[in-house]
Amino acid sequence: MWRTGVMALFAALCVSEPALAQTGRITGTVRSSDGSGPIMGAEVVVIGTRFGAITREDGRYTITIDAGTYRVRAKRIGYAPDSTSAVVAAGATAVTDFTLKLTASQISGVVITGYGGIRDVRDRTGVAETVKERDFNIGRIVSPEQLIQAKVPGVQVIDNNEPGGGISMRIRGGTSVNASNEPLFVIDGVPLSVGGGVSSGRNPMNFLNPADIATITVLKDASASAIYGSRGANGVILITTKSGVAGTSTVSFSSNFSTSTIVKKPSMLNATQFRAAVQQYAPQNVSKLGTANTDWIDAVTQSAGGAEQNLSMAGGKDDMSYRLSIGSLNQNGVILGTNSRRASMGLTYSDLLLDDRLEFRANFKGSKADDNYPAGGIGAATAMAPTQPLRNPDGTYFQWADWLGANNPLSDYDLISSRGTVYRSVGNIEAKYNVPWIDGLKATLRTGYDFTQSSRVSFSPTTAQFDIEGGRGGRFDKNNPRQTNTLLELFGTYTRKLSDAGSSFDVTGGYTYENSRGDYPSFYAEKLSTNLLGANGVPGATVQQTYLYVDESKLISFFGRANYTLGDKYLLTASVRRDGSSRFGSGNQWGIFPSVAGAWRIIEEPFMQRFGQLSDLKLRASWGVNGNQSFGNYLFLSTYTIGDSKAMYQFGNTFVSTIRPSAVDPNIKWEQTTSSNFGVDFGLYNNRVTGSIDLYSKTTDDLIFTVPVAAGTNLSNYVTTNIGSMKNSGLELGVSAVVFDGKASPWRWDASFAASHNTNEIESVSGSGTDKILVGGIAGGVGNTIQVLQPGKPRDSFLVFRHKTAGGKPVTGNKPDIELYEDINKDGAITQDDKVAYKQPQPTWVLGHTSNVSYKNWDASATARMYLGNYVYNNVASTQGTYRALTGTQAPNNLHSSVLKYGFTSTQYFSDLYVEKASFLRLDNVSVGYTFKNVPQLTSLRVFGAIQNVFTSTKYSGVDPMAGVNGIDNNLYPLSRTFTAGLNLGF
Amino acid sequence: MKITIRSMLIAAGALLVVTACTDPTVAPKSSVSSANIFSEEASYKAFLAKIYAGLAVSGQQGPAGNGDISGLDEGFSQYMRLWWQMEELPTDEAAISWNDGPLQELNTQIWASSNSFLGSMYYRIYFQVGLVNEFLRETTDAKLSSRGVSAAMTAEIKKYRAEARFLRAYSYWHAMDLFGPVPLVKETDEVGKTPPAQATRGEVFNYVVSELTAIRNDLAAPGAAEYGRVDQGAVAMLLAKVYLNAAVYSGTAKYAEALAEAQRVIAGSYRLDANFRRMFSADNNTSPEIIFAIQQDGDKIQTWGGMTFLVHAEVGGSMNAGDFGIDGGWWGLRTKPTIAALYPTAGPTSPDKRSSFFVFNGFSGNVTNLTDYTTGIGSPKYTNKTSTGASGKNSTFVDTDFPVFRLADAYLIYAEAMLRGGGGTRAQALAYVNALRDRAYGNTTGQITDAQLTTAFILDERARELFWEGTRRTDLIRYGQFSTAGVWQWKGGIAAGKVTEAFRDLYPLPASELIANPKLKQNTGY
Repeated sequence: MWRTGVMALFAALCVSEPALAQTGRITGTVRSSDGSGPIMGAEVVVIGTRFGAITREDGRYTITIDAGTYRVRAKRIGYAPDSTSAVVAAGATAVTDFTLKLTASQISGVVITGYGGIRDVRDRTGVAETVKERDFNIGRIVSPEQLIQAKVPGVQVIDNNEPGGGISMRIRGGTSVNASNEPLFVIDGVPLSVGGGVSSGRNPMNFLNPADIATITVLKDASASAIYGSRGANGVILITTKSGVAGTSTVSFSSNFSTSTIVKKPSMLNATQFRAAVQQYAPQNVSKLGTANTDWIDAVTQSAGGAEQNLSMAGGKDDMSYRLSIGSLNQNGVILGTNSRRASMGLTYSDLLLDDRLEFRANFKGSKADDNYPAGGIGAATAMAPTQPLRNPDGTYFQWADWLGANNPLSDYDLISSRGTVYRSVGNIEAKYNVPWIDGLKATLRTGYDFTQSSRVSFSPTTAQFDIEGGRGGRFDKNNPRQTNTLLELFGTYTRKLSDAGSSFDVTGGYTYENSRGDYPSFYAEKLSTNLLGANGVPGATVQQTYLYVDESKLISFFGRANYTLGDKYLLTASVRRDGSSRFGSGNQWGIFPSVAGAWRIIEEPFMQRFGQLSDLKLRASWGVNGNQSFGNYLFLSTYTIGDSKAMYQFGNTFVSTIRPSAVDPNIKWEQTTSSNFGVDFGLYNNRVTGSIDLYSKTTDDLIFTVPVAAGTNLSNYVTTNIGSMKNSGLELGVSAVVFDGKASPWRWDASFAASHNTNEIESVSGSGTDKILVGGIAGGVGNTIQVLQPGKPRDSFLVFRHKTAGGKPVTGNKPDIELYEDINKDGAITQDDKVAYKQPQPTWVLGHTSNVSYKNWDASATARMYLGNYVYNNVASTQGTYRALTGTQAPNNLHSSVLKYGFTSTQYFSDLYVEKASFLRLDNVSVGYTFKNVPQLTSLRVFGAIQNVFTSTKYSGVDPMAGVNGIDNNLYPLSRTFTAGLNLGF
Repeated sequence: MKITIRSMLIAAGALLVVTACTDPTVAPKSSVSSANIFSEEASYKAFLAKIYAGLAVSGQQGPAGNGDISGLDEGFSQYMRLWWQMEELPTDEAAISWNDGPLQELNTQIWASSNSFLGSMYYRIYFQVGLVNEFLRETTDAKLSSRGVSAAMTAEIKKYRAEARFLRAYSYWHAMDLFGPVPLVKETDEVGKTPPAQATRGEVFNYVVSELTAIRNDLAAPGAAEYGRVDQGAVAMLLAKVYLNAAVYSGTAKYAEALAEAQRVIAGSYRLDANFRRMFSADNNTSPEIIFAIQQDGDKIQTWGGMTFLVHAEVGGSMNAGDFGIDGGWWGLRTKPTIAALYPTAGPTSPDKRSSFFVFNGFSGNVTNLTDYTTGIGSPKYTNKTSTGASGKNSTFVDTDFPVFRLADAYLIYAEAMLRGGGGTRAQALAYVNALRDRAYGNTTGQITDAQLTTAFILDERARELFWEGTRRTDLIRYGQFSTAGVWQWKGGIAAGKVTEAFRDLYPLPASELIANPKLKQNTGY
């Protein structure tokens, strides 16, 4: 049926004729009086008729109507409506532009809903929020996600502190355990691979220059995201990039420089403390003490510079507009040798063709991102004895002779390299056709691509200590993954205004086809014959291995959406998407993802008139189903894995390669998240204060877990299958207020506050509902884990022994386990069964605040964030906070300062003392700017300064209380404070 | 322009309709499936090699990667390593110093059913069983003829099938020895999710015996198979060991059968190796005494478990890793003083050369702290050097094979079975024992008299001869010395050691397995 519909739409398109002779057109642009540019989403109506249009992103509109003289009105919430007359001659175009005056203190925005949809915030039924450029964070922004950090309630941006390193986003808590928890990113209509394709270990979004972004929209509830079906379960981030405006011409240049310094170092013993500890606890190693006084952390960190330049040219004339941008970024990391660079280019072109009926638009973004990230430096720096020197008297690096001792991190930085280069380009071409004889019908054809070619080369010469000890004799490793995604989308939208009283409906229906193909070649060599060529070649090596893996996947979808508005009071939205995915076997390939939402603009009711201060009030409710398919290909298929050349078996004198059948569940299918949301939008004092409150609940079923199967029934002990469920529920509150509106005095102050509360609970991880799954691997010991997925507990709860207490304090020191820990099952011994789930890494509350203040030519902003209820496992303390680190190997390792407090002489990985409270308050960002007015030759000139990570207040003892997504602090990349200064010029 | 746009749209529409882009199916690119794997006849041998390799490596990538089972680090969960640890760590022969996961529980016999090492052993066993079952299903006469397999190859595959069934029986022996009553899953049980029912320990015993008896004649004569593959010698040896412990496994002693099977082994072409140390060296594949070994190779058969584990973990402290042909010690395994006391004196100066490798320098003798490697006695029995002093191919991954069965064990089984009333003669038993002692002492000064030949002596002699060869726990249980009797350091979790409850003679079924298979009943005591 869907197919028939699509074909009919096409048939309609193909037989189209030029505009009929007796009609003409009214076209024009709606702009804001405050100089902020075109207004998107304004409603332009021809009074007394059913004809009208909504302005596009560039403020333009087009109405086709019979020849005649009309009154045309433009209106937009937050602005005073305006009307003017237009004379339409047959076959001609009447240009009617509007400039609307601001009325409300707070401009009510628009939200972008995907597949061409733009809605006024006042008309939204689902939960979607659009953040515009003027609200973005300022400072050293390497990746686009950082622009909205702490800006949107329910959205967490989790940065690993390394410039260009990994960033995770969580929208209303993750919905999965083994599939991805990252949202779907859609850039100008092109969906990217969830989890990011082949980014060579870096943040896949690095390719997009944040300076090219106009808006970022977060689709949070199922009503908003269900249109993205099987990929929407973790929310959707829609990014629109900047475009030019017809009739203008601007050249913008911006430049800024920054310097970053480390905020907090790991708390290790200094040389004096270490010397004393060795003398007392490891007298056999006193001879290995050394006489130096070295701070190894200082030795491997630096104050890091950064610079960024962006140049853009934008403009257009008649119906054509363009924007061309180039950008360059070079940012060093605070760890020696870490660096991230980007050269980017963007081109946007749009035009109106065929009597302005065809809107043509093309977007291309491309970049080359380079990075250096030598691994392991911080770990070696925390472990190296502070009484040993950086270098021996003869100038060579100090190294332990012992195999198990830490390696000199400076030597590693000098010798070992790991360089990555990622070329990535995302682009699309879109044609939108306003069908002539069916007023309000628009058809869109969009083709897009996402291409990534990356390369990572790691080189370790024969002289690197790691290779000497491991007998590897130098290593060379090169990976060259390439991934190409292609997209074809076809959809039609029909909009119809039913009455002047604000009743209307629109429907959208379409088809998309996406294909992804990846090639993953790699080359590995060991025992190099020479180091001469470094990372640039392998003249010869004893061990050489090459691999090639190819995979391909497809996603085919049909979707539809309808919005119905009755009397500007009652709003109804329904959507459905049917996805077919190659990831599943026959019978499970297709899934249907529906949603419905309704809203009641109660403020429009007559009985609300008596609440004078209340300027807006709307109730919303939504329900929907999303899927998640972000995991490996071919999981349903029983395959044979061919063993490599190091896992053979010997029969007589010949080595035989092996084959192994895989254990599969042929019936594997989507994870499915059902969510519901109740919300209130409100405005007070002529919308000087606006806000919303949302309550939501999301239940994910058919979670994909790799779970034990009854031994002997399948070909391995674990099979990946749909089992288990998880629930997230929470509350979000967002309030924005214009504290001073700049009218009575030169002061203007906009303040916004966001709060979100999320509760996560694992409901089941196996059929029986009583099992638990150990997760959260830690450093120290092989196979040790610290977290658990256990029904009734939040995901990744820490699984630890509880200390006995004496006098209100935990019992610590050199004691057997039975004296240290509670014997939970009372069997007289401390075993695995005595561990209990205790606290979780996710915050229960996340609060955010942003203030923007302006005074005459000055402006300032501040963003702060607070996490409550999150805990971090301090893995640095647990592995090195024990005197055993002095004796475990022949080379005594440095100790974490917690050992002075706890006095452990053997490692206590599973002590609850290492699960530390990590609530924090952080002033993320402060900026000050000055705008020069009336500068000759320039249209604008602004200088600014910003500080990121101004301060953090926390009780957590490690380097950063925000220890990644899973809350395990194992030698984290240290947090840095960044000072940025820059200027923006407009010609 | 209008024409161009319209043609574009028409073309796009046509593309959509004509190619019927509504089928999401994509054929896998870089994988082979059951549909095409056996179109190459070499796949049968490759499959058989995997069943053997399941004992030697941990997955399809050496030394780690693409693991056969999940739930524990690959190196830690390697089959041979786990079997060795479960046979040796809870006994007087060994202690391990690492704090990895619940590893320390193995040292003290205080293990929980959630212990991931115990669970992984169970899953390794059933991974092997599953592989064999699948192999047998894929090599039925009907399947082979439907694929047009040649007559010569079909005959060859018949032998493969017997070897596969041997390896399944070998793993079921481990299952009943360690865990007792376990499910019997056979090739006739289809792959699926229906959990199998639990068999009694006696039923598993009967199955192992019947399988080994059934395949015997399909295999080569004792000692005739190419190195690394099993023949009738391995069958007889496994039957001998199973019968010797029949009273434990099934409640009914079978010493006569054990003695008869030992005789079959002894009648084969195996000979005592004049060089005792060679059997634990990198060239032990040349030893005439080894009946069945799990093979390792520094370049081609790499694992972080297996012999890589054994050779590295036993080295540390005052030892020089290079002397063992490896790049570094792991400071893990050492032995307890009660074992050294079994020899007249232990160490390089001992007349009993079987103790020559013990290291006292830099070791405290008594195991005062389980997690301190240097407390105890160093005992690097295995080495990656050949018997002539050359180093193995690779200093990380060793060439030394693990000797599963060797002739000396058959001699001792004969002697013990005879003493326990299984027939044979005392004179023959004494001759076998003294043959071992002559080799150990290099002359006849170590010989024992007929009066000294007792079952208690055999237990000690097994400890001396087969130290760290993965048989101690089974031996102690047969002698009733593992749990309620017998005390050694750290048994029961205290430094001096204490007796433990009888139920510790069996390991618990894994906690995760009890959930996955609700038909299972946990062993008593857990």
